[in-house]
Amino acid sequence: MEKFDVAIIGGGSAGLAALKHLSNLGKQAILIEGGKKIGTKNVSGGILYSKNPAVGKVYNVENIFDNFLKDAPVERQITKYILHATSKDKVFSLDITPTHNYQSNFGYTVLLNKLLTWFAKEALQSAENLGGGIVLGVHVKSIIWKDENTIIIETDELEPFQVKAVIAADGVNSEIAQITGARSKFTSSELYQGVKVVVKLPEGLIEERFEISENEGAAHLFAGDITLNHIGGGFLYTNRDTLSVGAVYHYDSLIENPVEPNELVNALLSNPFVMELIKDEVPKSKDSYKNLSKEEELRARFKSNKLIKSWKDLHQAYYSSSRISDLLASGLYKTKDDIKNKIDSIHNELVSKYDIGFETNYVELEYSTKLVPDGKRGRMKKPYYKNILFIGDAAGRGIFVGPRIEGINVGIDDAVRAAESISKSIDQNNFDRLGERYSKLVEESPYTRDMNEIDKNYLKTFLDCTKQVPKDIVGHRYGTIFKLMSSNTLRNISIGFANTLGYKRLLPILESNNTYTDVPVEIAERAGRDLQKSYSITIPTIAERIAKLDYNDDSLSHIKVLNSQSDFMKKMVTLCPTKCYSIENERVMLQHEGCIECGTCAKETDWKHPRGEKGIIFQYG
Amino acid sequence: MNPDGTLNTAVIVKLEPDFSEGNVSYNADGTLNRAETKNILGPHSAVASTAALYSKVKYGSRVSVATMGPPIAEAALQQSQLICDADELHLYSDRIFAGADTLATAEVLKAGIKKMANGQPIDIVFAGHRASDGETGQTGPQTAWKLGYPFIGNVIDYDVDIKRGYVKVQRLIKSYGYHDIIEEIEAPLPIFMTLDPSFIPFFNTISQRLKLARHQKEAIGRSSQYKEYLKVFSAQSLEVNSKAVGLPGSPTIVYKVEKIPRAKANRKADVIDGSSQGNIGQVVTRIYDTLGGTIIK
Repeated sequence: MEKFDVAIIGGGSAGLAALKHLSNLGKQAILIEGGKKIGTKNVSGGILYSKNPAVGKVYNVENIFDNFLKDAPVERQITKYILHATSKDKVFSLDITPTHNYQSNFGYTVLLNKLLTWFAKEALQSAENLGGGIVLGVHVKSIIWKDENTIIIETDELEPFQVKAVIAADGVNSEIAQITGARSKFTSSELYQGVKVVVKLPEGLIEERFEISENEGAAHLFAGDITLNHIGGGFLYTNRDTLSVGAVYHYDSLIENPVEPNELVNALLSNPFVMELIKDEVPKSKDSYKNLSKEEELRARFKSNKLIKSWKDLHQAYYSSSRISDLLASGLYKTKDDIKNKIDSIHNELVSKYDIGFETNYVELEYSTKLVPDGKRGRMKKPYYKNILFIGDAAGRGIFVGPRIEGINVGIDDAVRAAESISKSIDQNNFDRLGERYSKLVEESPYTRDMNEIDKNYLKTFLDCTKQVPKDIVGHRYGTIFKLMSSNTLRNISIGFANTLGYKRLLPILESNNTYTDVPVEIAERAGRDLQKSYSITIPTIAERIAKLDYNDDSLSHIKVLNSQSDFMKKMVTLCPTKCYSIENERVMLQHEGCIECGTCAKETDWKHPRGEKGIIFQYG
Repeated sequence: MNPDGTLNTAVIVKLEPDFSEGNVSYNADGTLNRAETKNILGPHSAVASTAALYSKVKYGSRVSVATMGPPIAEAALQQSQLICDADELHLYSDRIFAGADTLATAEVLKAGIKKMANGQPIDIVFAGHRASDGETGQTGPQTAWKLGYPFIGNVIDYDVDIKRGYVKVQRLIKSYGYHDIIEEIEAPLPIFMTLDPSFIPFFNTISQRLKLARHQKEAIGRSSQYKEYLKVFSAQSLEVNSKAVGLPGSPTIVYKVEKIPRAKANRKADVIDGSSQGNIGQVVTRIYDTLGGTIIK
């Protein structure tokens, strides 16, 4: 049997950081990833933070990946952080950039497919020299202990192999946690469900609309009527030439009042304020050419599609200064106006010759979903089992406090702590206290502190931002909350009050329909500015969204329904983001083909990740 | 085999028209417009390259890739190198090779294979099942014959026992309408094999997967600078007899390729009512009678 020092299971941001750091420490590690390519199974909102806490030390991405600041394919550095309260036709916006900057070195928007591919490239260079590396398209199915310190890993694809320690980085639906019994599946109160669409928008339009420069980015958060009365909210982040638009909700609030996940993101997309931000000029493909013969019709369709493609490409390029200089350098165009003229001439040809219409709409690229563990409630108190250490989402570690939304950076911090612990065990050739050592390091992390107690300085920073809410709109029902926001003295009292109450008792007050829906709606209604829809938006149906996704279908289902008549499973008919469940004769039926592996149904199913290389292939993530 | 015990392997490839949608172009009379059609490494040549990659990953073999054709055929070598991380590329290019049939091509390939790996003997030669723009499937077997190597076709898997100098192969035999048979054959090296189109290499240990990843990465680097690995041979430098190559060395000419018309089915169908058990029994008996004779253990 082949022997290696360490196996890392899962090639997400945490797993790859673990591989990189173990290699930095000169330790041999094999990373096993189920996807055929790195980054095809990963979804994030996503902002990647680098933090600088006042007390204690965290390990940041740029500490692990030396070339990060120079080379990493990040999207935009967030310089504006804005919270919007929405009602049906009004919005009140609050600049909360100070909460974003709070103890932070930077926050970049990222698309995981691109970023993780780069992480993998960087990690691999160091890992290979030590006889380690990345093995793709392999699904771990079981773990056997040969003796206390020897772990045998069995997979669906490869011959079993032997390691001394394992880092489980297999995400929120960790199978390693289930195989070992290290933790039970997350309950609905310990999870959020996030839905995201990636929207295409030319670079220059993003900068113009969000009032940012080439090197800046904006993050917008939403609460109010767009929540459809759920606890959570929406987000809209600017990437280089795309936008990440999504909705994240407490899973138990969805269970209580089920709504289709795509409806939640649709509520955000069809908000007049968001509509203005995502709109673009879009050619409308024609369904039929009635007067033409079959052959002529094919020819027209072929030619017009080709023209639409060049129009789209030039339209993107025209709003990007780097693409413009490339085009001018290529000699095809002499001036920027030449490009504009070309765009207009294609436009005219499409309209006059091929009867293709242009409309104001938005361009959606990819629909995705992910479960997010709430570290405040779900984090593993003992993130290990024997020689297996859990990191990132697998250990339930994410920080979500109002507008503070952090996950990737926490996973990276865990990864370093796990790698350090294992490295020490290898050096001493003693793995007896590995788990405890790691657990202790994790407890020391400032992130763990943030999951355990409210950071009163952060709370103060946030409440200071809310000063912008006018004082004279105090409503009867929400009197206290409004007063908290507007009065300096009360703010200070409330921070002290928060400390006495403690996190556990404070959370139900902070995370309630009041905070996420009723109060924002009230604020928007009373102080917001009027909104008007300037165009009518066409949102793809869920079937169209699924049709756009790329899958490597498996004939075998990776999910087995255990009780087809339970209440929970009946709710999955609504809550499954790709409508894999339907009801027939009062029994819930599963069609696994469209599954995007989010794990929403995992609680009451026999849920496994698909076999190696199978299942969803996200292009953006 | 090399003095250090590693295998020497060779792959024979061909640059072929890209028949995929959007790339192929036809003349008015329905024949292929070669000038307008893009050329790529033939799909069967790609399979043969994969087989060489398998031997490289599993046995650390040295791989040489060869093709005969005009200078543009370099593209096939480059694409093959991208697949199999080849150590050496051979292009046999000379005006007098033009018009060669399979036998004259085999003569050139034989001479080239003997010049591979600094003259060390080649242990396994891989070739595709057939070309997509020719229909004969003869170049492989004829090269084998000229080299004096045993020939095995339709290979779907193979294993080399380096110590004994033997190869064990599995070949797929399709008996259309009946069962497909997998035949297992053992043969001493050297050997010439052509790969069944369904050949998929499978790497089932961690170290093989790691080696595979390393070779794939190395292949990207190598093929981007493929000229450094390329040797071009003329009739003279190959030292072939000019009467045995090109048009003069070709006893056959492919005049026209026609599809063999499908024979009409002469099956008879009986409709059996499935509601009674006795009738189902009839069906089972019928299936048993039909299949019984052809089951091969």
